[in-house]
Amino acid sequence: MNGKSVLRAVALTVIGLFFLFPLFWVVLMSFMTNADILRIPPSPFFTPTLHNYTALVSGELVTNVGTQKVTYMLNLFNSTVLSAFSVILSLILAVPAAYAFARYKFRLGEDIAFTLLSFRFAPPLLVLLPLLLYFQSMGLYDTYFGLVWVYQLITLPLVLWIVRGYFEDVSEDIELAYRLDGHSWLSTFLRISIPLARPGIAAAALLSFIFAWNNFIFALILGSSRIQPVTVGAFAFVTASAIEFGQIAAALVFSIVPTLVLAIFTQRYLVEGLSLGAIKG
Amino acid sequence: MPFLEITGLKKSFRNHEIIRDLSLDMERGEFLVVFGPSGCGKTVLLRLIAGMLRPDAGDISIDGQSVTEVNPEYRDVGMAFQNYALYPHMTAFDNIASPLRSRHVKEAEIKARVNETARMLRIDHVLDHLPKALSQGQKQRTALARSLVGRPSVVLLDDPLRNVDAKIRYEMRFELPRVLRGFESTVIYVTQDYKEAMALGDRVAVLVDGAFRQIGSPLDVYDVPSTMRIARLFGDPPINLVPVHPVTANAGIEINVAGATVRLPPDGADFAGRECMFGIRSENVAVSLEANDGIPVTLDAITPLNNRVVMLLRGAEGTELFASCPQGGPMDRLRGQYQAWAKLDLAHAHFFDRGDGVRI
Amino acid sequence: MTTLHMDKISKVYAGASERAVDAVTMHIEDGEIVALLGSSGCGKTTTLRMVAGLETITDGEIRVGNRLVNTLKPSQRNVAMAFETYALYPPLRVRENIAFGLLRDRVASAEIEKRVKRIAAMLEITDLLERYPPSISGGAQQRVSLARALIRNASVYLLDEPMSQLEPQLRAVLRARIKHYLIAGKMTTVCVTHDQTEAIGLADRIAVMEEGVLQQFATPIDLQERPANLFVASFIGEPPMNLFPAVVQGETVAVLNESQEVAFHVPLPPSGATSRLGDGRRVMVGVRPHKVHVGPGEAVEGSALVGEVTSNHWLGDNCHIGFRTRGCFVIAVGDRDVAAPLGSQIPVTIPSDAVNIFDAETGVAIQHGLNPAVLTAA
Repeated sequence: MNGKSVLRAVALTVIGLFFLFPLFWVVLMSFMTNADILRIPPSPFFTPTLHNYTALVSGELVTNVGTQKVTYMLNLFNSTVLSAFSVILSLILAVPAAYAFARYKFRLGEDIAFTLLSFRFAPPLLVLLPLLLYFQSMGLYDTYFGLVWVYQLITLPLVLWIVRGYFEDVSEDIELAYRLDGHSWLSTFLRISIPLARPGIAAAALLSFIFAWNNFIFALILGSSRIQPVTVGAFAFVTASAIEFGQIAAALVFSIVPTLVLAIFTQRYLVEGLSLGAIKG
Repeated sequence: MPFLEITGLKKSFRNHEIIRDLSLDMERGEFLVVFGPSGCGKTVLLRLIAGMLRPDAGDISIDGQSVTEVNPEYRDVGMAFQNYALYPHMTAFDNIASPLRSRHVKEAEIKARVNETARMLRIDHVLDHLPKALSQGQKQRTALARSLVGRPSVVLLDDPLRNVDAKIRYEMRFELPRVLRGFESTVIYVTQDYKEAMALGDRVAVLVDGAFRQIGSPLDVYDVPSTMRIARLFGDPPINLVPVHPVTANAGIEINVAGATVRLPPDGADFAGRECMFGIRSENVAVSLEANDGIPVTLDAITPLNNRVVMLLRGAEGTELFASCPQGGPMDRLRGQYQAWAKLDLAHAHFFDRGDGVRI
Repeated sequence: MTTLHMDKISKVYAGASERAVDAVTMHIEDGEIVALLGSSGCGKTTTLRMVAGLETITDGEIRVGNRLVNTLKPSQRNVAMAFETYALYPPLRVRENIAFGLLRDRVASAEIEKRVKRIAAMLEITDLLERYPPSISGGAQQRVSLARALIRNASVYLLDEPMSQLEPQLRAVLRARIKHYLIAGKMTTVCVTHDQTEAIGLADRIAVMEEGVLQQFATPIDLQERPANLFVASFIGEPPMNLFPAVVQGETVAVLNESQEVAFHVPLPPSGATSRLGDGRRVMVGVRPHKVHVGPGEAVEGSALVGEVTSNHWLGDNCHIGFRTRGCFVIAVGDRDVAAPLGSQIPVTIPSDAVNIFDAETGVAIQHGLNPAVLTAA
């Protein structure tokens, strides 16, 4: 059977390289000058430079035609703030709601849950124009508060549906046992239900953070450059004179970092659920 | 004044009545077994007593006080679940300590009481393990310890031995009463195993279709079952039930069992002419390979069962009867089909009305 | 219709260091019913699957009839199997599921009709014949799976945990009917189970397995009266065998109680198998609860004791009495009701011819009653 497993290993390596290569090349590009990037044929051998990173951090882009202000660090800050607050707000609202949907069968329960999910199906463009008008009249245009609120359309259904599934898997008997021990409903929810659904909450938080981070259209229309996240901010590199690929690459590398950090942090909660084993009671 | 009093309990789910007009009285310190086939409503009943569900009608009182409207955490009820329901993210010690922690008992006293209870149940050496590191038997004892440590008024044991292997299950029949006696608790023990029910209970309450059809001592439910259904639930193999139509003849009552006429003792006068089911347990059917005045049958199969031998008999008209006898006799080594004669010990005969199954 | 021979068969899974099945040898007669009995993970299901052809055989030979089947595919071996997971065909009705094998063997449809009716009546699934598998209960599905296997004309019938999901009331009834069916049809059958009650009821001989090794292959009576080792002795029987630690002392064995003091003595027969072990040698003494004689009465040769009754469970057709004597806890089983109220003192005798003695270290049986244990080849 050796031939088979060698072939399999080769196939897996090729597929892996195929998918990872763009990422790898972007990281390489972030250390190259524009000249190196545009050279034909492309080569992985070059003299690395930190020029792209320093330009981003210092906020100045020195090109042949002059110096240009770059506000990428602000964009990074905005992305982090918007995504983090959106996820936190969603967790506060949706986790108890998910519990209610999981435990109590109330009239129209399924219908309400599905309606909330359907927000994800609707194209944002559908609601953007009316939303812009509302925001402007309410004074929410160009505010963090406004954007975080709109981002709930993305994050809330996700958290609700994922965490509901995990609450359904927590055995009701375990909760009843804790109540019979003399603990109140709230104590049971905080000390038993939430810890046992932690993998789901972690997964939902991570996923909604990524979706919120990647959002482009809401941030583009409903705010000015003051609160724009990295998705919109990356356009600044498409200048009148040239497209600064090196800076774009460096900007991309920067933008991956917060999500990567969050993923590493939540990873242990995702795995924890598999090892406890007794979630089903 | 009964310690636990349940009156007229009713509970339905989606127009399906699970508990119908159920009533029960228990004295303090009594050990009652609730026995019934699957689907009879045992789990719903326990949840009503624990407070997880609210009844549609009826009342539950503990020590003179109604608890029907009281939340589970204030009812002073302890419960051990079929699937243990241990908190997977806490050690065995913390699991058992939970009822004491909620009452803000001092840490030193918690330690003493948890260790004492654990010692009684022989799990004191695994208290620092997480549930996933415990064996089935240890998990079950931990669940039991947790339900007892707070010395609640009422202890509910929901088929705690169901998922435990056969040897430990048997041992617990002797150990459980011993442990519970140390706690002086009023216990409701639910099981689907009739042998467990008869071994453990002072009284056995048979729950069928949402209500108690008979509450009595093990002797009562076995020897004098009030319905056909209850008669079938006790005994392995189940009681033989043959439809008969008793007629008065030859200065007595006669019935036709498996093609043979059987004369009944004269005190069965009031059911002549009624459509009945005649019931006789396998241990009251004696089989012989030598011709006698019993019913002629073919002995189709001999299956040993613990220390007895169970025999499958086939009579005329295809009637199937089971007989059993103690091991160590001539039946032990038979294999195959034989001509035989079956004699019925009519002192242990049961008669039930064929329509409603009630005992005559 | 056929014999089944397993010669030193072993199974090692890829990447595993232990053998799942270790050199098991069994010779099964034509028409014999054999049970593979053991706790989960002991190798019994793996052995069955090797016979079926669903697992490859690492070592050894399996012959069905006189045909070597090691390299044959399952479909070529002419075995019928009932799976633990039922494995019914969801889009087919129950009737069609059961008849499936016969259709493949091209049996006449009138004959199929007759056989399906007969086996459905036997297993009490007549009402379910027109239903689809997902709509019936687990216990019913299991019976359908069993029907599907038993209806076929095969050389060997392999049943994997055939009655584990059945309601308790049905088990004794179906066991008897199935045994009758198997014997009348002279069907060579191998049945896997973890329930020793089922094995004893159904099988002519039982192969007890533990950790891949065959412990003993014998009739139910032999397993009960002459268990080859401690594992078999404690596995077989409900209630389980009373076991006490003891030491050899000259011509007797001194049984130790829970506080390690001598509780009572068991006289040894003159054959000397145990006394030859030497003084001070640690052994285990076992006596089945059914053999413990409770109450006064006929003179029984053995150790006479007085016990205090701690429990008396009447189970309808027998009673289980637990009592303490000199620091030992003993369970006895009697027919019918024995008058032994709690707390009373009753005379108890442990008959010498019912005592089994095992080596405390190896667990191997040394003596059964008055006779030395003979190491039997399976």
